[in-house]
Amino acid sequence: MTADDRLAAEYAIGLLEGQDLLDARGRVASDPAFAQAVEWWEERLAPLLDGIAETAPPEQLFARIVAAIDADTGAGGEVVTLRRKVQFWQRTAAAGAIAACAALAALVLVPQTGTSPSSTPQLAAAPLVASIPIGDTPLRLGVTYLPDRKELLVSASGLTADGVHDHELWLVPDDGGTLRSLGVVQAGAEKRVPLDADTAALIHDGIGMVLTREPLGGKPPEASAGPVVAEGAFDSV
Amino acid sequence: MNADDARARLASAIVRIGAGDKSALDYVYRATSAKLFGICLRILGDRKEAEDTLQDVYLTLWRRADRFDPARASPITWVAVLARNRAIDRLRRLRTRGPTEPIESAAEVADGSPLAEQVMIDAEGTARIHQCLDTLDDSQKSSIREAFFGGFTYADLADRLGVPLGTMKSRIRRGLAQLKVCLEASE
Repeated sequence: MTADDRLAAEYAIGLLEGQDLLDARGRVASDPAFAQAVEWWEERLAPLLDGIAETAPPEQLFARIVAAIDADTGAGGEVVTLRRKVQFWQRTAAAGAIAACAALAALVLVPQTGTSPSSTPQLAAAPLVASIPIGDTPLRLGVTYLPDRKELLVSASGLTADGVHDHELWLVPDDGGTLRSLGVVQAGAEKRVPLDADTAALIHDGIGMVLTREPLGGKPPEASAGPVVAEGAFDSV
Repeated sequence: MNADDARARLASAIVRIGAGDKSALDYVYRATSAKLFGICLRILGDRKEAEDTLQDVYLTLWRRADRFDPARASPITWVAVLARNRAIDRLRRLRTRGPTEPIESAAEVADGSPLAEQVMIDAEGTARIHQCLDTLDDSQKSSIREAFFGGFTYADLADRLGVPLGTMKSRIRRGLAQLKVCLEASE
């Protein structure tokens, strides 16, 4: 266990005080790797909170909270709203991907008619998601892979087409082999992309993807791929 | 509604709050307030303090929801950790303000077994933290639990047990190192 790891655990659990606490707090704000180490511990300790019985808060508390938030936004002003609008696009792609895959997982879980009542629906294998930032813009491309259906959901709801280019998504095989096309991204829409078994077999947690800029319609067969404008990797949900 | 579906809905509602959509707050509150109030009450041991803290938790959620990244964090874990941390902060402030009622009443409330209809952080009940804590010796385990639920620092724990601070630190640090190895072994 490194000294940082230990400090992260001490901070997450709440063992520190005085200068040590202030230092650790400063590190969380300024050092993303340390902040991530703290999150690691928080996530793993959080199941302890499941042992606590739920208790309904008093009825009128929600109204109090809404009033407090209204007062807060009154003071917050336009800047917060603007910042939030920008960040909304950054997050929507990823959230859309997750919501979509949960909806599909629910479909998969519906038992077939005609199966015996005792048969239980199989749980879908865990989907993978990627949230790919697009260049210097605040936009993200949301990609969800549903292993059971060998299908991708590519969500480009925040993107607009420029009428001159298309963008093509590629899987980067681990062995450094030829890029596999995952299709042309449809700007402003969420698209389903069925994969052949070969390509599907390559996908796993951590595999990379790149997005290239191509002529309309995608990379012409005889040309080499266009410039890479974004890249990301699959992660388990 | 299955657990994945509930989780996805909650994640997307928090993202909408992050975008300034107040209507999403209603959903998040209905889905999480009983769990979060339970956490506040357990830590603070006082209804009035727990209510004030819960208000603080949702106000903080409103301000910080734009930092929630659904690709990285589970939404229920994210809000539960937020509630636990706010409750611990408040407990510490109350404690430094002077001797009030003994904290033991709050810290030593027995944990019931989770109800079936609860919003679960660990829906499968397979979290390693339980088994891993059990590999520690009793004094390490209880010290870590007292810190986590009772907001007790190294110095508080040393005081309570009447041992030197250095002894307390090295005892718990050995436990943390062991915990880390155990938690990592399952990943």
